[in-house]
Amino acid sequence: MREPTYLILTALAPGPRYGYAIIQDVAELSQGSTSLLPGTLYTALDRLAAEGLVELDREERVEGRLRRYYRLTPDGVTALETETARMRRLTTAAEARLRTLRPHTA
Amino acid sequence: MPVTSDPLARRYRRLLVCYPRAYRRERGEELVATLLEAAPPTRVRPTARETTNLIGHGLRARLGRPTSRTVVVWAALAAVVCGLFTASLATRLAWETSRPMPDRAEAAAILADVLPGHEVDGIYVPSGLFEMYGEPLSLNHVDLLMFGEGNEYALSATTASRNGPPPVPVEQAAAVAQQRLRDGGWTVYPVTHNDMYSCAGPPCDPTAIPRDTQLFAKRGDTVLEVNLYPQQYADSTYLAVSLSRATPAAVAPAAIAAGLFGAVAGWLLFGWASRRTQAPHPARRAVNVLFGVTMVLWWSPIAFTAPFAVPHHLDAPHPLPHPLWEWLGQPIFSLFLFTGCATALLGLSLAALPSRKAQPRRVAAA
Repeated sequence: MREPTYLILTALAPGPRYGYAIIQDVAELSQGSTSLLPGTLYTALDRLAAEGLVELDREERVEGRLRRYYRLTPDGVTALETETARMRRLTTAAEARLRTLRPHTA
Repeated sequence: MPVTSDPLARRYRRLLVCYPRAYRRERGEELVATLLEAAPPTRVRPTARETTNLIGHGLRARLGRPTSRTVVVWAALAAVVCGLFTASLATRLAWETSRPMPDRAEAAAILADVLPGHEVDGIYVPSGLFEMYGEPLSLNHVDLLMFGEGNEYALSATTASRNGPPPVPVEQAAAVAQQRLRDGGWTVYPVTHNDMYSCAGPPCDPTAIPRDTQLFAKRGDTVLEVNLYPQQYADSTYLAVSLSRATPAAVAPAAIAAGLFGAVAGWLLFGWASRRTQAPHPARRAVNVLFGVTMVLWWSPIAFTAPFAVPHHLDAPHPLPHPLWEWLGQPIFSLFLFTGCATALLGLSLAALPSRKAQPRRVAAA
């Protein structure tokens, strides 16, 4: 799973989000290192929907602008959990090796 | 999508034309709303990054491969090369609107006017506009054309020459010819001088190599080339003249129209094959390989030839630009072109094989 996809799924984990809120969440989660553009976001949402990982939650109109909220499907939650576990294993392994390398700082 | 007077929204909406109509109907309003929310209040036009992003994703969606990161690049490569080849074909066909090469009477009149006192040994009138080894192209030339001698296929010309000692020094003959051409309403191009042969170091002295004098002029649809050579032997040629036709006016519009048609056709064909060969198409890998081979076969002659053609055109006067196909390395590399056509047709045939691929769905339609 590529990092932007992981970040989008993570942004949707607490509950349904609309387009701009997802972009903001992704920027915050990545501490500014990933800045999604709307074209990229909607292409990713199409792909994730085709894979059955996200789905439309509801629509609303705010100040005349259309907002569509998206949520994780059960498969999306599973995919995020699996990827998070895989990354945690990698992180744990990396930390262990770094401790061996620099026991006084790690 | 509702119409708004916000100029930024209007500009974003204009960029969404890159997306298919159905996609715009389904997603356009939401996409513009997100773009507007993400834009700072001072922004009045889309940024270059946003523009590139929307065009790229829109074209991906148009190609029916919204998740492919490189599909637009491949489609552009296919479209451009198809456009160049169809433009070349149209260029050749449009050349048929040209008048025939000057006949003996026309050539003799021009020579008598421009080079008085220079009796030529004979005037050769070609039988066609383009020739290979002095003959119109025929099936007998296929092997020569395909296997390395394609550069012999070129625009013909009515030619004349004179052997023996020049009646006046060649510098004087060139000056008189230039003056008479100007007086006769010809456009005269700067005279150039080139070494008649090359050598490297002793015993040959490169600074002592004799240089020819080359003169180009153009009037209406006639192009004149005069070459004057310093005499080396008693019977060597001192004068060579060629008269040919300028590029017909029909060539540029025909090339542009055919180029656009070819580019669109290439884009659509690529898109069709690309959509058909998404996993789990049985020939997916083979089609990808055949596409790569086709692009290498079609693009490599262009990559090899164009870098030489550009300085060649800039270094010397060209009243008659080389036809488009020569810039593309054709027909000297016609073996590459035809082999590429075969691999392209094979790839398209394999792409037409039935696939059990499920149609992707969009989230908004879910």
